[in-house]
Amino acid sequence: MNQLKLPEKGYQSRIRASSIRLACWNAAWVAATFLMAFGPKFLWNKAVVLTLLAVGLDLAVGVGLILASKRYVAELDELQRNVYLNALGITVGVGLIASVPYSVMDIYDAIPFHADISHLVILMVFTFVVAHRYGTRRYK
Amino acid sequence: MKNRLKVLRAERNWTQADLADGLDVSRQTINAIETGKFDPSLPLAFRAARLFGMPIEEIFHDPALDADGGSPVTEIRKDTYV
Repeated sequence: MNQLKLPEKGYQSRIRASSIRLACWNAAWVAATFLMAFGPKFLWNKAVVLTLLAVGLDLAVGVGLILASKRYVAELDELQRNVYLNALGITVGVGLIASVPYSVMDIYDAIPFHADISHLVILMVFTFVVAHRYGTRRYK
Repeated sequence: MKNRLKVLRAERNWTQADLADGLDVSRQTINAIETGKFDPSLPLAFRAARLFGMPIEEIFHDPALDADGGSPVTEIRKDTYV
């Protein structure tokens, strides 16, 4: 096989390492978000300073997650990146399109419950997973 | 875009995984290119050309050029510049 100048680590091992890094940042962000959401009520009795610290921690871990995600996308090959970015685009679109009517329905009491941001997060995660799976299957 | 990756790979007894390693992409990407479901970028096409040691046009070609034997690009240039 003719030799090309390739990175020291092969594609699969780079992606594996990058995926593990991204999963760790995701887990850290979920943990920081849980701490921020439930800490004030169950851990520190709504002490403002601790709540602000938890918010700061959540934002800092969030920045780390964004950077890890950016690095992960950069490591993907062009087909995988295409699938990933298409799924992200669909997710952002669904999130935007769903959020406004959902908010309006809440304002005018068209739904029997309070519109919660977590519902939107769940919808976006679900949309991304479905769009990514669909994109992957399309190229199989 | 049509390509001869599968034939060239078979001539060298390379698996899709071998070719994927050589081009630093996933095996799924090689499969998608071979089956015509995904067109590679120009840099990846050039990498394939270097790996196989042959000109890029001997690996990848536009099926539109096969249809009438002419070159649509040439015709567009004529229309544009005349």
